[in-house]
Amino acid sequence: MSSPDPDTRRRRNEHLPTRRRVVLAWTLAGLIAVTGLVALAEALRLDHPPAGPQTPEVADELDPLRDDVVCDLAVPREGEDREVAAAEPELPSEVTSNQLYDCPGTWDGRRVRYTGEAVGALLERRDRVWMQLNDDAYAAGVGPLPTHRDFRGGNAGIGVHAPPDLAAAVEVVGGPVTRGDLVEVVGVFRRVDPVTNEVAVLEVQELQVVRAGGPLEIPSHPARAWVALAAAALAAVAVVEERRRRTR
Amino acid sequence: MLLRPDAGDFRLILLYTSRVVYGVGLAMLVPAVLALVADETDDLWSFVLGGSLAILLGRIGELTLQTRRTLNTSHALAAVAASWLTAPLFAAFPLVLSGHYVSYLDAYFEAMSGFATIGLTLVNDLDHLSRSVNFWRHFMQFIGGQGIVVIVLTAFSSGAARLGTLYTGEGREDVILPNIVRTARFIWRVALVYGVIGTSLLWAALLAAGTGVAEGLYHAVNLFMAAFDTGGFSTQSSSVAFYRSQVVESVLLVIMTAGAFSFALHYQLWQGRRRELLRNTETQVVAISTLTVLAVIALGLARTETFTEFASLYRHSLFQAVSAHTTTGLATIPGRLFVTDWGVLAPAAVVAAMGIGGMAGSTAGGIKAIRVGIILKGLKGDVRRVLLPENAVVAESYHAGLRKVVSGPQVRDAALILLLWLLLYLVGALVGLFYGYPLELSMFESTAAASSAGLSVGLVRPDLETPLKVVYIAQMVIGRLEFISIFALVGYAVSVVRGKV
Repeated sequence: MSSPDPDTRRRRNEHLPTRRRVVLAWTLAGLIAVTGLVALAEALRLDHPPAGPQTPEVADELDPLRDDVVCDLAVPREGEDREVAAAEPELPSEVTSNQLYDCPGTWDGRRVRYTGEAVGALLERRDRVWMQLNDDAYAAGVGPLPTHRDFRGGNAGIGVHAPPDLAAAVEVVGGPVTRGDLVEVVGVFRRVDPVTNEVAVLEVQELQVVRAGGPLEIPSHPARAWVALAAAALAAVAVVEERRRRTR
Repeated sequence: MLLRPDAGDFRLILLYTSRVVYGVGLAMLVPAVLALVADETDDLWSFVLGGSLAILLGRIGELTLQTRRTLNTSHALAAVAASWLTAPLFAAFPLVLSGHYVSYLDAYFEAMSGFATIGLTLVNDLDHLSRSVNFWRHFMQFIGGQGIVVIVLTAFSSGAARLGTLYTGEGREDVILPNIVRTARFIWRVALVYGVIGTSLLWAALLAAGTGVAEGLYHAVNLFMAAFDTGGFSTQSSSVAFYRSQVVESVLLVIMTAGAFSFALHYQLWQGRRRELLRNTETQVVAISTLTVLAVIALGLARTETFTEFASLYRHSLFQAVSAHTTTGLATIPGRLFVTDWGVLAPAAVVAAMGIGGMAGSTAGGIKAIRVGIILKGLKGDVRRVLLPENAVVAESYHAGLRKVVSGPQVRDAALILLLWLLLYLVGALVGLFYGYPLELSMFESTAAASSAGLSVGLVRPDLETPLKVVYIAQMVIGRLEFISIFALVGYAVSVVRGKV
């Protein structure tokens, strides 16, 4: 006796193996849908030139993740005596946060000059004000995202605390809609601050705002709203239709 | 014999997947409201568009994929895996439109990291990210931590009795209450109660730390979701160190610990059985393990003379130990200092803590304390068998709500899963080594990705090599689902190719 035809077997809820070609076709359809989603996102990205004002990376820059960063004082290992930094130079050295984090022992207790954008918030305590100063490319270089497409990685910066009278000079902190004041500070780097128990902070002695912050000019994509409204309308139709069928 | 799946199998898997996508679409309306309130118009349209696409696909699936086939274990497991791979695809949409991600892959990585409560991030310039998109990152952790599939399906599916496999397929252990819907409701209740209390405490602590009222509330809500769901994202690039507040850190320590408790233990505590906290084997393992890790970190840091004052040593060791052990990933120190100022022993202890992880059936990842406990009990039993007379009956037991005898198969299963976890950690580390990163960094980051811990030494960054991003995404989802669901999905793919008709 011959076996029932596929339609009959399907009606009986019997196992009816799918042909590989059908699976392949649906897999391809899925991949095309994903490609479409990605293409739609690319088409609706903020209205910048796709390449953007790309600033070339410094080609011979040391990669601290792969290369050994040579510090004046050796990075400590278990059981070794920690070396103490020599007497501080009269003029504070200009440093970046990456230098401070790469060689915290070397800079510990030394006066440094550091420039960064105030971001987040000014956290006022009784005797000091905490602030985060970022010295990444977004702070002084290319400017904050999403005002451009020059992606320069995550943020880099350091926490500083300043006496309230010095911190009062900072008026704008960076955030979603603002570029913060660019602040130059001179202060002592503390690998571990003995007063606050905080790690890797600057104790500010001098502070000046070198560039005032202000509102960001965030671009917009004119088509995004229309595409969103069209998609929302289609989604609403699908929801209503599904509900109608379910209640029928 | 491997049977080739039929159309009904695929329809069922895709039907459940489409329901999860629908749920993610609805979830996107929450940050859309925030975008509206915060006057972030472009992000508002991004969320409306991303949400609408997800809702549209979800409802089309509901309309076209109905089948009389009933859900069995393999369907459920494959549906969970398919859902976890598909949901971030839609969740990534508003992220990529925010203008802070280089590519869709990076946004997908971020969304997976969010749902799987990892905390590793590829965002560029986080400190200028819009409030609604930043909230969405944290909200994904909240949804993923509670169990994206179970929550969505219990809300939108009938036949809840058959959904138990979905629950276990999502990396959970026991169903706490007689049915999955009541279990899911209990999980939500726990989260909401902790949410109200935790957010209020954090808000008060943040106000004391110097934030503004509205700003403090925004940070508190996000921090709570990151801590309770052991996620590890933060609103600022400097993580918890931004707040420079021991009070904030103390509140977070409590919330992270609560998040790493299993929901079964929460249930026991809610029933007033407080002694369970001390008798529960998993609690004991976590407590002993955390204290051991803390001691090793403190010893290592003392040996490197990183901290010379007890207060700072205790404060930063404890926070990092708890953050790693609960697989949260919040930090009070810049990640780079793990490499340049913490020696080797202390970071190794952090890696071990991330690897072990929290409790089974919690929002935490990693090997899980119960498995470590069962293996140790099995080992203890074997040693006793060797030492005692041959006819002595040796039985080890553990406590998880009830006293249970440790069986041979249980020990074998736990050991097998432990082995799989170690392999998962190793694979990521090997790929890191292949790209020229040192062993310590590769191991640290691989363990952080797979165990959902999310602490970072800086290796995961936007210009990370693309294959490594893909490997970490795979580690995140495999680790979050604890292997079996992914194996089921792979099994379906294999059976399409090699299955008999």
